[in-house]
Amino acid sequence: MKYTDRRVSVPLCARSTTPGLVNKTGTWKFAEPHFVDLTSPCNQQCPAGEDITGYMYLVGQGKFEEAWNLIMEENPFPAIMGRVCFHTCEEQCNRNDHDESIAIHVVERFIGDYGLSKGLTVAPPEDEKDKKVAIVGAGPGGLSAAYQLRRMGYAVTIFDSNEKPGGMMRYGIPSYRLPKEILDAEIDRLSAMGVGFTMGVTAGKDISWDSLASEHDALFVAIGAWEEASLGIGGVDKGGVFNALAFLREINLGNTPEAGSKVVVIGGGNSAIDCARASRRLGAEVTIAYRRTEVEMPAHPEEVELAKEEGVQFLFLTAPKEIIGQRHIAGLTAEKMTLGEEDSSGRRRPVPTGEVFEIQCDGMIMAIGEGTKVEDLPSLISHKGGVVETDNMGHTAAPKFFAGGDIIDIPHTVTHAIGSGKRAAIAIDRFLEGEQCDEGSLDRFRWGEKGNVSLGRIKGTMLFPRRNPGSEVIGFKDMNTFYFDHRSRIRPQRIPLEERLQGFQEVIASPSKEEAVAEAQRCFICGSCTECGNCYIFCPECAIKSDPDGYGYIADMDYCKGCGICVYECPRGAMRMEVME
Amino acid sequence: MRKVITGNVAVAYGAMLSDVQVVAAYPITPQTTIIEELATMQAEGLVDFDYIRVESEHSAMAACIGAEMGGARAFTATCGQGLFLMHEMLHYAAGARTPVVLANVNRAAAAPWSIWSDQTDSVSQRETGWIQLYCEGNQEVLDTTIMAFKIAERLRLPAMVVLDAFFLSHTSEPVDIPEKERVRDFLPPIDPGENWLDPDNPRTFGGITMNDAYMEFRWQIQRDMEKAKGIITEVHEDFAQAFGRTYRQVEEYRAQDTELVLVVSGTVASTARDAVDYLREKGKGVGMVKLKTLRPFPREEVIETLKGKKKVAVIDRNFSPGATGVWAQEVRSALYDLPEAQRPLIYGYVAGIGGRDISVKTIEEIYTKTLEDAEPDDVDMWVGVNYV
Repeated sequence: MKYTDRRVSVPLCARSTTPGLVNKTGTWKFAEPHFVDLTSPCNQQCPAGEDITGYMYLVGQGKFEEAWNLIMEENPFPAIMGRVCFHTCEEQCNRNDHDESIAIHVVERFIGDYGLSKGLTVAPPEDEKDKKVAIVGAGPGGLSAAYQLRRMGYAVTIFDSNEKPGGMMRYGIPSYRLPKEILDAEIDRLSAMGVGFTMGVTAGKDISWDSLASEHDALFVAIGAWEEASLGIGGVDKGGVFNALAFLREINLGNTPEAGSKVVVIGGGNSAIDCARASRRLGAEVTIAYRRTEVEMPAHPEEVELAKEEGVQFLFLTAPKEIIGQRHIAGLTAEKMTLGEEDSSGRRRPVPTGEVFEIQCDGMIMAIGEGTKVEDLPSLISHKGGVVETDNMGHTAAPKFFAGGDIIDIPHTVTHAIGSGKRAAIAIDRFLEGEQCDEGSLDRFRWGEKGNVSLGRIKGTMLFPRRNPGSEVIGFKDMNTFYFDHRSRIRPQRIPLEERLQGFQEVIASPSKEEAVAEAQRCFICGSCTECGNCYIFCPECAIKSDPDGYGYIADMDYCKGCGICVYECPRGAMRMEVME
Repeated sequence: MRKVITGNVAVAYGAMLSDVQVVAAYPITPQTTIIEELATMQAEGLVDFDYIRVESEHSAMAACIGAEMGGARAFTATCGQGLFLMHEMLHYAAGARTPVVLANVNRAAAAPWSIWSDQTDSVSQRETGWIQLYCEGNQEVLDTTIMAFKIAERLRLPAMVVLDAFFLSHTSEPVDIPEKERVRDFLPPIDPGENWLDPDNPRTFGGITMNDAYMEFRWQIQRDMEKAKGIITEVHEDFAQAFGRTYRQVEEYRAQDTELVLVVSGTVASTARDAVDYLREKGKGVGMVKLKTLRPFPREEVIETLKGKKKVAVIDRNFSPGATGVWAQEVRSALYDLPEAQRPLIYGYVAGIGGRDISVKTIEEIYTKTLEDAEPDDVDMWVGVNYV
């Protein structure tokens, strides 16, 4: 018989006679992979406690309404935030170590504008509660607290001495940074939810604190910092000398303050820049005089850059000594400074040199910092150095009084105020429900150890699915960034200089949908599963499976032999090996 | 459709017309234009396959094996150093009985570095269990690529289409390109049978096999290689019927009435045809036999064709250091079984290594030496070496 006619009893290719499933390779392992959900540095940094990586993911997927809803869990003003928040989140962005940080504010602005253009609204509360809360102060802190409390079902009324709500957002920020239509449209959503506004009423004057307290079950006090610090030099009472907040208030009321044709602005913060840029729009030559150098300026670098573009001059190491002129300012003398030792803020202290010189001007704006006026608050609310004493959740020493915004010990920014309003809303809710709300009890809903509390996480929103959120913050080195290409960040368009100086129209253009999506897709989504599938693809044992509960993957420990490839290949550090007991 | 195309483009057409489902390849001169052309064809929608970019030829072959085990028709192409890097996986593909088709553009081995043609890369893979099909011209390249899928899939053994670097890969010739529908009629979709990956019934494939069974698996490869001789002939006949072009594992050219024949492979065959015509015109008795398959080696056909000849000159564009050119070894081994009276003298020549030209004059020189020498003066004679 020819051997080609013979047969053997094995198949063509060697294969196991029993299915491979009987071989539980999981028994080999000494370490096992876990899916984790770590905190991104941006989320920890956000003073409002937004889920930034969450909405970056959603925008990247084209899910704009979900992204809007996710921000609205934490912050009622995405369109305002995208314009005025100084986005310190971007400084923390892990992508800085890769190429450039994500332009988070640009994406947020797109989401905010999307919500406004689509007329998105907030769902009314599921249950109306029979408790009433008074909010004193219609600035970002008060509005934030009012918004969150109203969503929880409380009857909320805001009292404010101004004609219109918005606080510093309306009376401090010029409309070339934040158009009034945007501000109005976002605040209107609160009215539509049933938040009551009692405007033109000063608490403690037009209505007593006692009556407010007796008519409400809880009060949130966020009256802001409206007092301009004094320069302490001679001549500040002369004509043509303004303080920054009064000047900006006039500008924002649409008036034209007579600040002169050659204006000196004293100070190096954002208010100084606002005053200078606004004065340029009124046609003045403007010089900012600051006693340290550009490096120490507290103003946001982009604001400084825009001011320079618009022709604002800078005199650094310059401290004003005396205002010259009869009844009206005609100039000022100033002293040349030099930099000395670091002060408590870590910046080098200005030291006088004795060299005095004169600056010609016919107008001056003092923008050296704002202060609070808390002496008239109810006496049980304790304060020290103009700062109301609270714990981290906004409890004051007085029962049922809570406080937030610029009067408590937080940085004076819109975003910090919004964050404080949210925390106080949580504390007020617990107080009215008769529950304890100490600082530690909410730590598991905090972004990282230092970040704000997330209401979305307390409520368990799954708009961006987070399965086992942990407080650990993920760093650049904890990820496998091989999977991310290098792309520069979006640079938003600015309107031409000539148009800028003709009025107060918005300077920075909104991104297109395509730009916003492309920018969001640059985001690493540090620390969270995006269902990229790398673990699933790489697992040599096919032990990674789709999570039957819906989102993401699970490791089948019967077959996972603990090699750790999935953890290594996870681009965003959302997996971890743990040695077993 | 008739087009003037290079051998590499002909390979790409062959794979495209065969509806490959997975291509995993790594670029290497002179193979690169094959996968570039395939990528273009994919981009233009002429063929729909998953293109797996890999980091090496070893991975390319591993990916093709995986694809075949998943039931897909897989293709790759390489040459020279790339084929050497694939070597381990070439054995695996045959052992796992995955009918991968690979186009190898013959490139000389380094060191010293060379990109020009000789067969050392493919003949070095003789023992891997791959069918090897050598081509003479670009039409044969295209047709062989299509036939390779059919041969490989019928046998569940991998097949290598072999073409000379530059002489074919980068030289354009008119080629008839069959219509895809007619190729589909000729080449049915791949049938992976029952032996392949099933996610619902996971099994271990190719795992450790003890010495009570290993030999049986390997014996089947040998048995099926023997069967392959018949199946290749059948596929050649099917192809001739479908497309009107005839191929043979052993092809004679003016060789029946001569006592001296040249045995050649690859592009040397087309030069040898001219040389035979030229010498015949001068009244010399010489013919040519072209071998298309190295594995399986068509032993019976070779015996039948060469028995009774007086002298056989085998021209090898390859060599096996310490032995002789590989085709010469094969022919010698086959003809030894003939009774001495019918057994020709074998003259083994090595020529054209590293792309050195084998011209009509080279072949005339070989003919003359074979005619004049009463017997071979050495077991292995190198032609065209510049001695000092």
